[in-house]
Amino acid sequence: MKLGRVVGTVVSTINAPDFDGRTLLLCDLLDPSGKPAGGYLIAVDTVGAGAGETVLILDEGNSARQVLGAPGAPIRTLVVGIVDAVTGEEAAAAASQLSGATHPQSRLKSG
Amino acid sequence: MQLARVIGTVVATVKTPGLQGVKLLVIQPLDRHQRPVGSQLVAADAIHMAGPGELVYFVAAREAAQAMPDPFVPVDHAIVGIVDAVTPLAGDESPRDRRRGQRP
Repeated sequence: MKLGRVVGTVVSTINAPDFDGRTLLLCDLLDPSGKPAGGYLIAVDTVGAGAGETVLILDEGNSARQVLGAPGAPIRTLVVGIVDAVTGEEAAAAASQLSGATHPQSRLKSG
Repeated sequence: MQLARVIGTVVATVKTPGLQGVKLLVIQPLDRHQRPVGSQLVAADAIHMAGPGELVYFVAAREAAQAMPDPFVPVDHAIVGIVDAVTPLAGDESPRDRRRGQRP
């Protein structure tokens, strides 16, 4: 799984039927310190994540379809959690270099 | 899934049987500020409604074939939706937008 930050939503009315009624979130990928890692994903929301939140992104098709209970859906990427904190010495060291320049929700503590 | 711009069509009369009736489009993947990134690709149009110039999102790999009516087709990129709008959330601007002092 990957860490991401919700930076937008994708609105679409013409889509494959499996996407009907699903919210698509535009998520920047983050490294464990909360810094953008480069790249982004469009993920289907399953937890009600919102603006600026750090989220857990599942990027594997079989698991995603199992979570959704939609065996034939062309969906690989889901937001499956909202991250409260990431702990660990390396993550905390990287975060201290950034001096909290990312966003308030990625509170990083030393392991 | 990623954003892309449809930039052309591909016409092929001789195709492997699984690709009969599949519309093929040339797409340019975009970053989240809708700037081109990476190589152009040929993608199957799973919604049968995308056309040149449109902003779409696509899936790759196994999920691309899942998007087709017959999921056992040799397709590795498929367009699964047309984007009406990408709504940036507050405080989300690219450096270029900040310099200009406006949103795209």
